[in-house]
Amino acid sequence: MSVNLNCSLSDRNLDISQPSSQRQLAIRVSASTNADSSGAPLNLCLVLDHSGSMGGKPLDTVKKAARELVDQMYYTDRISVVGFDHKASVVVESQTLDRPESVKDKIQSLRATGGTCIDDGIKLALQEISKGKEGAVSQGFVLTDGENEHGDNARCLQFAQLAVEYNMTLHTLGFGDHWNQDILEKIADAGGGTMTYIQSPEQAGEEFRNLLRRVQSVGLTNAYLLLELPANVRLAELKPVAQVAPDAIELTMQNEGNLIAIRLGDLMTDIDRVIIVNLYINHAAVVNQSGSIPVVTAQVRFDNPVMAKSGILSTPVVVEANLVQNFQAQVDPQVQNHILALAKYRQTQLAENKLKQGDRIGAATMLQSAAKTALQMGDEKAATVLQTNATRLQSGTELSEADRKQTRIVSKTVLQAPSNS
Amino acid sequence: MITCPSCSHQNPDGATHCEACYTPLPVITMIDCPSCGASVQSDASFCGHCGFDLTAKTTAAIIQPQQEVSEPLPSPIQVPEPVSAAEPDPFQPVEITPDDLTEIITIPVSTAPTAAASPSSNPKTQLQRITASLLHVQTNVTLELPNNLQVTHLGKPNNLIPPDIDVSGFPDSDIVSRVHADIRFEGDAFYFEDTGSSNGTYINNVPLPAGNRHRLRPGDRISLGKGDKVSFIFQMTE
Repeated sequence: MSVNLNCSLSDRNLDISQPSSQRQLAIRVSASTNADSSGAPLNLCLVLDHSGSMGGKPLDTVKKAARELVDQMYYTDRISVVGFDHKASVVVESQTLDRPESVKDKIQSLRATGGTCIDDGIKLALQEISKGKEGAVSQGFVLTDGENEHGDNARCLQFAQLAVEYNMTLHTLGFGDHWNQDILEKIADAGGGTMTYIQSPEQAGEEFRNLLRRVQSVGLTNAYLLLELPANVRLAELKPVAQVAPDAIELTMQNEGNLIAIRLGDLMTDIDRVIIVNLYINHAAVVNQSGSIPVVTAQVRFDNPVMAKSGILSTPVVVEANLVQNFQAQVDPQVQNHILALAKYRQTQLAENKLKQGDRIGAATMLQSAAKTALQMGDEKAATVLQTNATRLQSGTELSEADRKQTRIVSKTVLQAPSNS
Repeated sequence: MITCPSCSHQNPDGATHCEACYTPLPVITMIDCPSCGASVQSDASFCGHCGFDLTAKTTAAIIQPQQEVSEPLPSPIQVPEPVSAAEPDPFQPVEITPDDLTEIITIPVSTAPTAAASPSSNPKTQLQRITASLLHVQTNVTLELPNNLQVTHLGKPNNLIPPDIDVSGFPDSDIVSRVHADIRFEGDAFYFEDTGSSNGTYINNVPLPAGNRHRLRPGDRISLGKGDKVSFIFQMTE
């Protein structure tokens, strides 16, 4: 299994009459499937909230969805289940899925009681996942319906960071309207996972299936994007790298010698991860005969769980731009769409920050620009949600908890029409 | 430093998209005030330092002929005859009484405004103006912008604002509004402005919201209406 790495600039041509140009580089990364190699087995841990508020229909549907999930997994996969209220306990110890019926019975035995302490749940999940992490793709699904009232959010994020170091990806599922979207987003973002919003109990089964499909398509893990910039290229000063697909995530980078390393997490076989890098290119650099100017050399470093190899390097890709005399802007429409996706996310974030500071008018204006951006990229559902919320703010009404969650989700992802499911 | 109009983030020079929210940034160029030399934005109406009216370009034209008039001043005294042949009409009365030096100094100053008022008589007094043209992409026809207009209207024939550039002859012109857009010449630059067209305007494939201005640079692609059906490439010749 190897890596597909594609780079395209927002505009390949640079105006020779300008001293420097700003360009965005879109990098698409995915795992490529060969016919002869199958994916690694899954090592999945379900972290389920069974606090008192889940009582009744919510917990019943979650248990049903979890049992269905077990049915869809392969016999070589490993599963563990951790339940938490204000304390956490291991419901199903990490095991290969030889006896799915007993696993399902244990899931069924969960009773709704107590409060919510997410950090203990994650801590136990890390223990369970690490029992079977060799040669497998380690994933955790964290489902909760409430604020982390018995836990400490900072501790939660520390565990999320620890999961990244152990090469496990955590995905979060917010159930109902009273969970904390900031914490769940940060837990998911830390390891390049995804955050899902289950608004009504009926959606639980569907969202579990989607998430399982995503983690089953993970081919390579612990991927890092390595960028080497020549002297004439510099990164933007503020938040220069971000992922825009499948979810918008602000990425952090670290320097490794003359390389810039950006952790991407898992690589899927059927979904591209798209990363936008914001660059300034100084034109004064040495230009070779063809008028092209080097911009960046990109490479991916990854682990292959099937072959139990880590630190494999992909073939590097060199990106070049052309200096031209009679400059005509020719924006790559695909890259433009990725930039708009990032713009939508950033503008919504700014709006939420303004709202927190009590600047309702500013927030409404910002949400409106985000709605416009969504329209430009053809994401009509997001545009509708954002515009409705902007109008609501302008008319002086508060945003409900559900509105806030919906806003966060539409800003992070492009909602697709239900395909082949 | 460019401040983002949308989120107030301070972007470094040369940025075209805001680093924080990716809003396209306005391109700001600075010009020197012709009166006090302070650096001011090219689209400003008045200089913030001395209050000089930057929109009145004629004032700049007045300064020039005065300098030119003062140069040939000593010559009427030394060699009066060849100058009289070369001089334009306003200087005819000067030649009759060249003996008094104070008279010579006062008369040119008083005639200077008349020289500026008829700039066609002296080509050097007119400001050098950049001419621009639009290349229609679909038919490869070049349209010159009328170079005596501050504002050029684009559209199709109508009763309200007759277009200076009529696009009704081009294919697919039915998507262009009758009053579609303006091209303004200000400072030393051309600006494109959508004047409330029905189908909008796209600059380099990015929509231009009504009321926003885009500073045209050579090579910009202007599409009137959706679908890139009536498109022009902006060109400038010095």
